[in-house]
Amino acid sequence: MANIFDLHLGFILDGLSLFFLSAILLISAPAAVYSLGYLKGHFPKGKIIYNWVLFILFVISMLLVVTVNNALAFLISWELMSLISYFLVVFDEKSEKSVSAGTTYVVMTHIGTAFITAAFLILYKHAGSFDFSILKTAASSLSSTAKTLVFIFLLIGFGTKAGIVPLHIWLPQAHPQAPSHISSLMSGVMIKTAIYGIIRFIIFILGVGSLWWGNLVLVLAAVSCVVGVIYALMEHDLKKLLAYHSVENIGIILLGVAASMIFLKVNLPVLAVFSLAAGLYHLINHAIFKGLLFLCAGSVYNATGTRDIEKLGGLIKKMPYTSAAFLVGAMAISALPPLNGFVSEWLTLQAFFQGALSSTSGMKVFLSISAAALALTSGLAAACFVKAFGITFLAQPRSNKAVEAKEVSFSMKLSMCFLSVLTFVFGLCAAVIFKILVSVSKSALGLEALNADFSLNNFSLAIDNNTFVSLPLVALILIVSAAASIIVIFILYGKRKTRRYNTWDCGYYRLDARNEYSATAFSKPFRIAFSFFLLPYKKTEKIRESFYHVKTFKYETFTTPVFGKYIYAPLLGVVLGIARFMRRLQPGSIHLYISYIFVTIIALIIFMKAF
Amino acid sequence: MHNYIFLISILLVTYYMVIVKRLPALISGFRLQSFLLFLITASFAFYEKEAALYIVAVLILFLKVILIPNFLKGISRKIQVNENLGLFLNPQLSIVVVLILTYLSYLFTFKVMTFTDKMQSATFALTLCIVLTGLFIMIFRLKAITQIVGLLVMENGLFLLAVTMCKGMPFLVEMSIFLDVFISVIILGIFVYRINALFTHIDVNKLSNLRG
Repeated sequence: MANIFDLHLGFILDGLSLFFLSAILLISAPAAVYSLGYLKGHFPKGKIIYNWVLFILFVISMLLVVTVNNALAFLISWELMSLISYFLVVFDEKSEKSVSAGTTYVVMTHIGTAFITAAFLILYKHAGSFDFSILKTAASSLSSTAKTLVFIFLLIGFGTKAGIVPLHIWLPQAHPQAPSHISSLMSGVMIKTAIYGIIRFIIFILGVGSLWWGNLVLVLAAVSCVVGVIYALMEHDLKKLLAYHSVENIGIILLGVAASMIFLKVNLPVLAVFSLAAGLYHLINHAIFKGLLFLCAGSVYNATGTRDIEKLGGLIKKMPYTSAAFLVGAMAISALPPLNGFVSEWLTLQAFFQGALSSTSGMKVFLSISAAALALTSGLAAACFVKAFGITFLAQPRSNKAVEAKEVSFSMKLSMCFLSVLTFVFGLCAAVIFKILVSVSKSALGLEALNADFSLNNFSLAIDNNTFVSLPLVALILIVSAAASIIVIFILYGKRKTRRYNTWDCGYYRLDARNEYSATAFSKPFRIAFSFFLLPYKKTEKIRESFYHVKTFKYETFTTPVFGKYIYAPLLGVVLGIARFMRRLQPGSIHLYISYIFVTIIALIIFMKAF
Repeated sequence: MHNYIFLISILLVTYYMVIVKRLPALISGFRLQSFLLFLITASFAFYEKEAALYIVAVLILFLKVILIPNFLKGISRKIQVNENLGLFLNPQLSIVVVLILTYLSYLFTFKVMTFTDKMQSATFALTLCIVLTGLFIMIFRLKAITQIVGLLVMENGLFLLAVTMCKGMPFLVEMSIFLDVFISVIILGIFVYRINALFTHIDVNKLSNLRG
């Protein structure tokens, strides 16, 4: 048995690691440039230097997480990453919200780390080494119970970091509190390291044990998608809304990963490679557009000092660059072609369709339902971003803060512009990128020898060649229908005289911001449609002068935080109860404390005598 | 043979420290115990012909027999504390408990530690008993100064173990332990002084209402 401290520290630089490495660097660079303008003037100089030190350490720790080849070193860098991100969440330590969000985050992330550590120790006990290659060979001879246990632990551990429902509770608290360039890093890449962990440890090292593993992950992923986007629809804090979308998109990425696990088990290796590649594609895409959106949200916050979209509006005239960048990001996340979000969601859907076509009865239905969940998510995401963009940037300003907004500095514009261009690049160069991702996916699944060279143009993936949906066909239909609709509009309306008038005035001349559509109103249909889950309730308060004359009327609407109220609050109650009970051990008397030591020694002596 | 005499006298002095009721008597007991420790160390140095042990013995004489007891007595005189120790357990019961502790440590030594040499096992049991008695003094006496004395008694026990079992620890380690003990006594003394200045008593039992 090798010594624990005899670390053969080295780096693993296979396709998977290189993919994550490049994803991290791709998002870190614009975030770094962005922070130049973002922090200036808002924080004292010492604080800015502190931010830089943490930022660099954060990026280094993330790079270490995805490249080390030793489970112990992985744990150390994982913990380093978690701690540094905690300090970044509480960067604005004067705000009470930051501190409480940071506490939730640090507690949740450490519960996760505890599970990962336990899983690693089980593996270590069996393998006698922390080295990835030795773990991989040892894992194949692990008993099925132990294997299942390791899988569950790893899933909980990495799921906490990734923000899978119901472990997502920290995400919408912590992400908005960090400075925006950090939110973009945390949401764009840090939570992706958990996906790396799942692929590296569950699929690559442990190997998929049985079919239900994939099914479990698939169900969790589908639930995360839908729950994430529903909560996002209800959210009116711009950064919180984006954080909920991270939950949703992690779900979409995991859909690909889970489908790959299932296909591996039902012996469809080509599809397994395909769906993992689709998941990885969505991963990099989400990193790009979520990074972009968080930077835009940061710009809005920087310019107006608020993140509440009900107080914004009309920013498209004040901040044209930010608005354009946000629009691009919103289109990408809503999966509109030709942007990158469309490609990866389409590929994931394709994987599910192909899987449903080539599997039998129960699995057919299961995969179809998952595909339906993805489609629903996609539609709701579009609705959510219509709300986010419309309320924030269109119409008239709803508060003085929005009136006084000014376009942000050059370095911030530059970063947002860079990421906007990337969304186009990753959408339009999909064929090339997907080819690279397929090879990454092959090496991750250990199927290098598999002959499956699919490109997007020649989509020869289908098992049954007659039933596939081809991209050129879809593209053709889209182009034709778009062109047709333009022509129809042109014929119907012809050239029109443009008239400049007040926004949203509807021909009436004295509408002000209070007459505008609000975000709460926009999301009302969804609140009703999903009322079985959101459990909305309202409070009304009337002050009457007389029976006929109501002087003031107050109307508030809320949704019940289901997970917080029914899972976390009772759990916390139990923990606090135990803690309160244990506190009786500590009455504050020094004599008693010394006698604890004394009694322990005596007990040990008697115990030793007994043996 | 003379070692037996010294060891038994140390045990008796330790029992004496358990039954005393007044602070000066306790400190005198400690002084006497340290003096016996000095004699044992010196005799070991003489028989084993270890020059380093002579220095250690002189240091014991200097620090534990003269300096520390004087310092403690000085403090207790300065803060004009009531001479009563404040007992949780009266002397009769205390001595019974300590006798049980002695029996326990003998049992432990003979059942668990397998010494071939009778002298060695007796010494081990004795030192264990002294350490436990030190803890006992810390727990069942009220005043803060008795906590310091209890700690010193424990330290004496450990020191005795080191000298008799392995002819003393490496010289450097001995030196640093001496320094530690000396400094900790001074710090604790200052604490006691401050506690008294702040609360007008040094009754550790009453400090529990400081808890938040």
